Amino acid sequence: MPRARSTRLTPYMLSNRIYILFFLICWRAGAQTPAPTPAAAPAARQYAGSETCQPCHADIYSAFQKSPHKLVDTQKRRGWETRACESCHGPGGKHAASADKADIVNPAHLAPAEADRDCLKCHLNQPTHIGRIEDSHAKNEVACTACHSIHAHGPNGSVPRKMAAINEQCASCHTAEWAEFQRPYRHRLPEGAMSCVDCHNPHGSISRASTQAFAANETGCFRCHGNLRGPFTFEHAPMRIEGCAACHEPHGSANPRMLIRAEVRYLCLECHANLPSAPGPIKNPPALGGVPPAFHDLFSPQFQNCTVCHNKIHGSYVNQELLK
Amino acid sequence: MRCILALFVTIPLFAQTTAPQPAAAPAQAPPPAATTAEAAAPTPSTEPWITGTLDLGYRFTSVGGDNDVYRSVVNLGQGPRLLGLDLMIVDPKKRLFDRLEVRANNWGGDPYNTVHLNASKQGIYDFNFDYRDIAYFNLLPSFADPLLGTGLVLDEDSSFSRRRMSDFQLDLLPGHRIIPYLDYGRDSGQGTGITTFVSDVNQYPVADRTFDKTDNYRGGVRLELNRFHATLEQGGTTLRDDQSAYDSTVNYGNNYQPYFGQTLDLSSLAQAYGIRGSSIYSKVLFTSNPFSWMDVSGQFLYSLPNTSVNYTQVDTGSLVLQEAILFYTGEQALGFAAGKQPHTTGSLGLELRPMKRLRILESWMTDRMHTSAAGLVTGMILQPLTAAQTDLTPLASLLVMNYNQEQTDVLFEVTHKLTLRGGFRYVWGNAETDAALISGPGQESSDLRQQVGLAGVNFRATQKLSANVDFEGAATDHAYFRTSLYNYQKMRARARYQLASTLALQASFSVLNNQNPTAGINYSFLSRQNSLSASWTPSKRIGILGEYTRSTLYSNINYLEPEFLTPETSLYRDNAHNASALIDLALPSYAKLAPHLAFGGSLFLSSGSRPTTYYQPLARLLLPLHKGIAWKSEYRYYGYGETFYELEGFRAHIFQTGITLGTGL
Repeated sequence: MPRARSTRLTPYMLSNRIYILFFLICWRAGAQTPAPTPAAAPAARQYAGSETCQPCHADIYSAFQKSPHKLVDTQKRRGWETRACESCHGPGGKHAASADKADIVNPAHLAPAEADRDCLKCHLNQPTHIGRIEDSHAKNEVACTACHSIHAHGPNGSVPRKMAAINEQCASCHTAEWAEFQRPYRHRLPEGAMSCVDCHNPHGSISRASTQAFAANETGCFRCHGNLRGPFTFEHAPMRIEGCAACHEPHGSANPRMLIRAEVRYLCLECHANLPSAPGPIKNPPALGGVPPAFHDLFSPQFQNCTVCHNKIHGSYVNQELLK
Repeated sequence: MRCILALFVTIPLFAQTTAPQPAAAPAQAPPPAATTAEAAAPTPSTEPWITGTLDLGYRFTSVGGDNDVYRSVVNLGQGPRLLGLDLMIVDPKKRLFDRLEVRANNWGGDPYNTVHLNASKQGIYDFNFDYRDIAYFNLLPSFADPLLGTGLVLDEDSSFSRRRMSDFQLDLLPGHRIIPYLDYGRDSGQGTGITTFVSDVNQYPVADRTFDKTDNYRGGVRLELNRFHATLEQGGTTLRDDQSAYDSTVNYGNNYQPYFGQTLDLSSLAQAYGIRGSSIYSKVLFTSNPFSWMDVSGQFLYSLPNTSVNYTQVDTGSLVLQEAILFYTGEQALGFAAGKQPHTTGSLGLELRPMKRLRILESWMTDRMHTSAAGLVTGMILQPLTAAQTDLTPLASLLVMNYNQEQTDVLFEVTHKLTLRGGFRYVWGNAETDAALISGPGQESSDLRQQVGLAGVNFRATQKLSANVDFEGAATDHAYFRTSLYNYQKMRARARYQLASTLALQASFSVLNNQNPTAGINYSFLSRQNSLSASWTPSKRIGILGEYTRSTLYSNINYLEPEFLTPETSLYRDNAHNASALIDLALPSYAKLAPHLAFGGSLFLSSGSRPTTYYQPLARLLLPLHKGIAWKSEYRYYGYGETFYELEGFRAHIFQTGITLGTGL
């Protein structure tokens, strides 16, 4: 396919991209001006302390006492001791004097990326945020506050912890995905036995669809399906290379076993349809997966569901044909 | 070029000034009036030390139609239940813990029981325990019964198993700069079912018993500094997987036609797998914010799982070795094998903010997995003595997968309300695996080369109206599998509009179009999902939530009919309507108690390759009897039907009623 080859990224192009990136880094570093020191800040940027906020914002102040963020007010090492409100809202001295909302930063009115930067001042340094750069939430500017409550420790705390509440929160945006869970064959999310975050990391991960990992870098599905983890003597390649979703629709399906096809034979034959090549190493066939031997008469019910015989379809310890 | 780069790197480093430490930032502030945190925090002394709810009830069920399918899909049983427990205990003296939370659901015989416990003491520890017990019942006659057409149902490929997952995690010194943690998890499953024993030309459905257990131990330390975080973790797993299949009656299998005039059968079987495995894994994660305009994150992950298996099989009956047309009555197989799978993953990501409105995200990722295994199976035909022979089958296999990805995204905030995103992803890799048996011994290897263009728009017109659009378009030189993503376009759009203070609307649309025009494949895949939801609260007493999703899936791909290698086309269609609604009514109150009625449910209607209907309406009534006590009842109906397998439908009426005790009712 000449057209595709012409757009192929060569190592030369890749190294050029890296150079350009470093150039940007260096240029930005060189252009950086020193941040204003506290002494240079204008007098108006005075901090008032959290207690000053209490008389006017009593409800928020009261809720905040039970919030995990109360730590900011009490821990010296965070640098905002007794000034937790101002760690996000900025210096409140002027606002306390004028009571004008124009004199205080309200993160709720900032652009999401800008508001998130406030949160990430402290929370970037957490292991759950390791995949933030790959995260579609971050790229689509879904603010932290879309899921997390900053002040309150209400029925759901700063973020839902009950499985049903987590699912409800995710479903409020991901309506189409939640609709898939209304299908008959599904993981038990509507029943509250699992939650979306059991499989997905909402802060992002390097895996496709921000899925969780098990034992460092293995598919997160093995956390509950440990018997399918292997390594098998004879692997079923798509399971390792494309993951469980190569054959299963994990959210829900009208097909038994959450399969992506109504009949098992078509699911198998759609991949196992490449003609045999000459014996020996085969380099770059059109696709992996050879056609089954000729005795597979698809008109016979015996051969209409491949897993009747190939019952170790996820991988076998003793048989190359995955029969046992 | 490299010298110029070095110059660029070094010059600005000299020009830099130290970024102010966060601790220094508020130093200008006047000292607050309060001197200690305790004094500043008004302790709500009137709060009860224990809060929460307890739901106890009894469930009645009435199932019509196919009970096995009901159990495969719903599986709710009858009897007394602990429907829910949600407790929070606060120790005002903060002795062993500051706060203890316990949540439990569906105990007393339900197919999914959960319990979660969290105990924490600020700055000392944070302990979490999670336990789930989920029962899986799979018995669908239409799924894998080759003799279904003859009226003989052998329940093949059926199973009834329970999986129990527990996890204990202890974080020490939370909130400090150095946080050690320990975790132990166990996932175990056991069950029974029917599997098939394949003996050349026949398959015999036999009873099957499974037990597996994975223990996962890990420990590590998190370093949380102001501008740098690192997590170092070391862990290991152990696996035990025992499976046995057995039969002691005469079993004619799926192929009951005589073979060369002789009826085949299996009169006894004892088959056992003893699989033992272990793994070690290491994890190094870091995030850093070296400059205010730059975030860096990366990870290195390594795991080395390995397994060993001992396999034995003894079977008797009237059996045949097809390649020699050799009839025999008894055989034994012994086998052992071992496999290893070193797996290394690394990633590095950068977020640069060279200007206030511009963000550049760059990430690299590599994932390398090599599986190799070897072993030997010794098959011995023992009876009759005239046919006795031994066959040694060496086992050896290899699976190599190397995946690499590099992605750049540029986000530009055109205005405060509009952000545009563009980017590029290049994916490349290679895989090597055993060739299909029909191709003869050897390996086949394949490459992956994919170039993906990325685009997106985030639009926030007002606080009430926002929309975002994501687009991915890819051109692929080579992919691993016929159904892999090839030349594809993927788009997702979502919009939210707060029409009034009482009415919020949301719409989403997604489409995936994947085409692989390679001769002999001709894969054409198109799926669309359109979704609309509304939340309306016309008055304080009424809340209405409604959602509708229309999804369509169209897939065409060529395949070869194995017997004569005739080209055929596999068609799959799934056109579904899905709607759900919930209407919540606050009924007139009495004696300062507020009863609630909620009703709604969901329906799923699909046509295409497996036309299915699935209705789940429900109604709930909460009648407070006294402060802290309420009578709660719920009715649910499950109606399931399939056009092609009408006998597999079911209708279930489920009514549960009980008492809810707790605060806040």
